[in-house]
Amino acid sequence: MLSNLLVTKQKVVLIIDELNRERIALKFIDSLLHEQGQEAGTIKTLPIGNLRHVSSYEALLNECGNNNNNNNQTGDAADFKAVPVTVAGVTTKAEYNVILPTLADLLCYQTPAYIFSFINRLRQSEHVRRVFLWASPQHLQHHHAQYILAGCEYLAELILRLETETLLSLISRKPGGGVSNKRYSCQVTKTEFQVTPLDGPATTGSPKQPSPESEQTAEPASSTFKIELDEDEVVARNALTLPYERTSEPAEGSIIYTPDADDDFDDEDPDEDLCI
Amino acid sequence: MATSVLLACGLNEQKLPGFVHISEESNVDGSFLISCILGQRLRISNAGTLLVCLQHHYQHYFNAGMRLGYNTNIFQGKTLNVIDVLSDMASEGLACKWLRTPDGLSLTEQLVEDIRAQVESNYANRNSYTILIDNLSILFNLGASKLQVQQFCQDLASLAKERDNLTVITKLSNSDIYQPTDNNVAKLGQLRIQVVRLKSGVFREVDGKLLIERVLDEGSYACEEARKEVLYKVNDRNVKVFTPGEVGVKV
Repeated sequence: MLSNLLVTKQKVVLIIDELNRERIALKFIDSLLHEQGQEAGTIKTLPIGNLRHVSSYEALLNECGNNNNNNNQTGDAADFKAVPVTVAGVTTKAEYNVILPTLADLLCYQTPAYIFSFINRLRQSEHVRRVFLWASPQHLQHHHAQYILAGCEYLAELILRLETETLLSLISRKPGGGVSNKRYSCQVTKTEFQVTPLDGPATTGSPKQPSPESEQTAEPASSTFKIELDEDEVVARNALTLPYERTSEPAEGSIIYTPDADDDFDDEDPDEDLCI
Repeated sequence: MATSVLLACGLNEQKLPGFVHISEESNVDGSFLISCILGQRLRISNAGTLLVCLQHHYQHYFNAGMRLGYNTNIFQGKTLNVIDVLSDMASEGLACKWLRTPDGLSLTEQLVEDIRAQVESNYANRNSYTILIDNLSILFNLGASKLQVQQFCQDLASLAKERDNLTVITKLSNSDIYQPTDNNVAKLGQLRIQVVRLKSGVFREVDGKLLIERVLDEGSYACEEARKEVLYKVNDRNVKVFTPGEVGVKV
């Protein structure tokens, strides 16, 4: 199920939809959360009618914080029916899943700078467990839509791209710095979203540099040249000394001097008076 | 006169979906749909209609109605109300409220205010109420931004959600440059009608094609949609529709 891949420890989840499913964005994310047993009380949304006012964004942040504090107090008061549950004197945090309106709707009412800042604040809030943002490139009408989308991808830790009806890709950034890019085939019905990993180079983990050896052996199937060497050829190649190597063979440097009969060798140092 | 085209679009019923959007491609004219819908709504007894004239003024719709077999003047002030932005501009010039933006309201906000006022005063007396807006792209010409138009449509969609039996019908000429705006407006409703030109060129017996997309059910992960394609020909006094392949050279 897709929810197994998306509802993880990663905090900021960006869904890029190429299929024009924006009208069901909220339902889509809500269903993912419910599949993973997230209760309705932990899901927070921003109604589209309130997007005009900055205060409603602040209210959402405050609401998460306040509810959390209130819940902690009720937990301390040993109200065991309330969330969070107190287990052995340790109160678990009530953390929220925040489903943001679609990026197109957010951009309709707020500036990109404010949206980025708001997502960042949600990311840093300890009361927020996950933030979901839906972006459909076909619906983005901002002049710099591509840059804004790239900015959202930069902020996100998990990027789901719904490429076609049967194909999706998932980029996951782990806290340790590892990045994985996997592709899945998918089967979508009205109530189910099944995914199957696709085999192939795209399913490997972080992109690795190919080794020089593997580069050497890589030969295009259509090539008419024989590039590979067999063992005898390798030995013969190594034994061969090329002409430029012969000329540049290192020789010991020496000065051969044959003194004449008249040469007068003075044993004294001629520079003695210089006191060097 | 226009029953067949309304039947093909699913707009011949008394109760219409809450929000209907007509997308008009560059080089085709879908205004005939507004006239057809207007005639159909006026024929239903005690059904209120608000016509917001942006592309054509009221007189155009009166003339078109006469050709299609109905007289809008009979209904005006009773079941038909009109916000005629173009005529206001022509008669009042720069003093017109649509250009003056009184009270710091933008053009689109002013329009929403007026539409809300009309709905408040008329909706209660009617069995159903339809708001027809032709054409949103004129708002761009009058200085509204894409975002303002989107906000305007969202306000209208919320108006339709607040009340049963209230339908908002919008039309937008996307001119091949307003496609994202078009998509954003279309997602607010359940029914989208795209008026597109023929790919094969110009044909004497067909003016263009209607692509009708209706969302039947919104599932959690996918929508159940019904899609239909019909060809249309706007004649002097009626609109004919054909199924693709029906029209051709007959030997």
